[in-house]
Amino acid sequence: MITLHPLTNRKPSFLYSVTSGPLNKKILKPPKPYHKTKPYPTITIQSVLQYNRKPELAGETPRVVVITSGKGGVGKTTTTANVGLSLARLGFSVVAIDADVGLRNLDLLLGLENRVNYTVVEVLNGDCRLDQALVRDKRWSNFELLCISKPRSKLPIGFGGKALVWLVDALKDRQEGCPDFILIDCPAGIDAGFITAITPANEAVLVTTPDITSLRDADRVTGLLECDGIRDIKMIVNRVRTDMIKGEDMMSVLDVQEMLGLALLGVIPEDSEVIRSTNRGFPLVLNKPPTLAGLAFEQAAWRLVEQDSMKAVVLEEEPKKRGFFSFFGRIECWTRKFQYISYLGSVC
Amino acid sequence: MTSIWTLQLHTVSFPVKYFKFVIFSSFYLIFICTVFVSSYVNTQFVIVVFNVCSKHRVSSNVLEIRTEPGFNCGYLNWAGRKTCRKFVLRASSDSVNSDDDKRIQDEVLAVESERDNVVDSKNSVRRLQETISSLPPVIFLTKRHSGANYAIGVCIAATLLVIAVRVYLTRKSRLSRPGSVADLVRRGQLRSDRRGISRPLKYDDPFNNPLVKVGKSNSTVEMCGKVYRLAPVTLTKEQQAIHQKRRSRAYQWKRPTLFLREGDSIPPDVDPDTVRWIPANHPFATTASDIDEDLAQNNVYQKHGVPFRIRAEHEALQRKLEALQSEQKFKKLVIDPGAGKDFERPFKSQLKSDEQIEQSSSNSEVGSNPLKSDRGCSSLRSNSTSEEMQKP
Repeated sequence: MITLHPLTNRKPSFLYSVTSGPLNKKILKPPKPYHKTKPYPTITIQSVLQYNRKPELAGETPRVVVITSGKGGVGKTTTTANVGLSLARLGFSVVAIDADVGLRNLDLLLGLENRVNYTVVEVLNGDCRLDQALVRDKRWSNFELLCISKPRSKLPIGFGGKALVWLVDALKDRQEGCPDFILIDCPAGIDAGFITAITPANEAVLVTTPDITSLRDADRVTGLLECDGIRDIKMIVNRVRTDMIKGEDMMSVLDVQEMLGLALLGVIPEDSEVIRSTNRGFPLVLNKPPTLAGLAFEQAAWRLVEQDSMKAVVLEEEPKKRGFFSFFGRIECWTRKFQYISYLGSVC
Repeated sequence: MTSIWTLQLHTVSFPVKYFKFVIFSSFYLIFICTVFVSSYVNTQFVIVVFNVCSKHRVSSNVLEIRTEPGFNCGYLNWAGRKTCRKFVLRASSDSVNSDDDKRIQDEVLAVESERDNVVDSKNSVRRLQETISSLPPVIFLTKRHSGANYAIGVCIAATLLVIAVRVYLTRKSRLSRPGSVADLVRRGQLRSDRRGISRPLKYDDPFNNPLVKVGKSNSTVEMCGKVYRLAPVTLTKEQQAIHQKRRSRAYQWKRPTLFLREGDSIPPDVDPDTVRWIPANHPFATTASDIDEDLAQNNVYQKHGVPFRIRAEHEALQRKLEALQSEQKFKKLVIDPGAGKDFERPFKSQLKSDEQIEQSSSNSEVGSNPLKSDRGCSSLRSNSTSEEMQKP
């Protein structure tokens, strides 16, 4: 039986991730700590916001990234769609592979479900070429979708993993050029589909929510990925609610990080726009004006490009400052106090 | 039968506890305005104040009316105040007040009847009244300096005016130009830095967003109009290494390389940890593959031309057709060459006859269409019959 224990020897220290490019370095003064037992050191925020520059691609192309979680329903496919389109918006060519053999949904989230005629199974069978199976997004032409199989077909898993390796090799040698990113949307669980999906990956993005079921699965999946030789694992904490964290009904992002010990790629707040965008087939990051979750996905994509990680996380919402009209509210308070005092005086 | 009513303008008597702010402030302002007016007209003041008290259920049952409030003189000497007139006031409109009056009068009667018996109690009541009257009422304390009245009044009036003008202007600006550039920038639809020639947009930067601002202290970030506190991440390399070690101990895992059906035996010289059994009725995966592995790899790598299976099927079909044709020809040649000729061009000959008919009908009359269709049908039927006849 494996249990997760948060590390208690937290020491104030500087962060480790390598950052590249002219970043805006901003000194973070430690805010008033939410948990009194956790003192925050003064550190440098490097990637909270970056203005007017294009992110610099780090690492060798194609970057083959598998987006996995272990548990289902935590937002793997949503993350794949939004991060993929964010990368395309940033100017990188992206191929998103929906490796969920039986229950593919990435095409729905992207609004491309009517354009999927061929899949990898047809490519393997020789019914079509690979370029015919790639579905190009009309909104961002440097984004392409590739589905592994149709819902009713079965994938021969004897060489499922090999097939994905061949696909990556074939994409490298394309006439249009090698794509910058190949994102693989991994199915839930750790059986054959998971093994197939992680085979060609060099790095992994672990999506988790701040609840213990998801964390246990995420820890197990991280262990399997590390056993398989994938060392570059970053996590995205999805569906974070600052109000529940404030009320201590939900683990904070820092607690999650303590339990898993993984670098943070992004923190996605709970947003009702996610459901709306899913139903519309229009990813969040394309929304104008942008939503909170869309902004968070964009920032995660930015960090993925630069192989960066988060240096600061959003803790909670600050109470709003009083406006001009609250002056009268204060007058009322003062009046009540005065009434009370005078009442006491009259009684005495 | 005289009762002394002392007007205590303690703010306690105002039941503002359940009043909203607006009601309270408006009432407060009305009262202050009344004070201004009454500084010139002394007699009105008392009545207005009494109305105010009766509206708000003045708890005191004794009203003391003073003929010289002294507001217009700019000073008020409360130490030397004297009561000149004493009378009972009755509020005829309010039933509650009339009841109170009756009750008060009854109380006073009772007090007078017992005056002879209990002298000490009267003294105590008087002492209480004196102490109460010696306490300066709040509103009179604030109005001691009449010069300040004007200043406060002007301030309040100016504040109200400013509020009204501000609200009016904001509403006007919102309503007048809802689709203006400034409005679009405010709503985040348009970026202000895009306009002008000062800084052309080189790149659609998702981070250069007017809805995201870092606070001055860098400990907060404002996103979509909400301010969030930031906390630094404190994960260290050492902690990460500890977690990796823990996981490597906890999860001993080898990538499965061999997938077998349930019931299949493990082949020799294969690590059993790398073997997985897939149930035969697995909905999405199968161990059986009808494609050769090398062939599948070639299919994936194929860049141009017709896909393998399509080409293979096409070739197979073509071969079959050729074989069929040759076989048919051979059969036809052997069996009945004359019938083959009839089979090959029955339709064309029929078409020719149709054309001839059409030409003749267009020259003659309109009612030839059913004839044509009938003939067409009959020709098709004849074809089919001829085919049926030829096939066996």
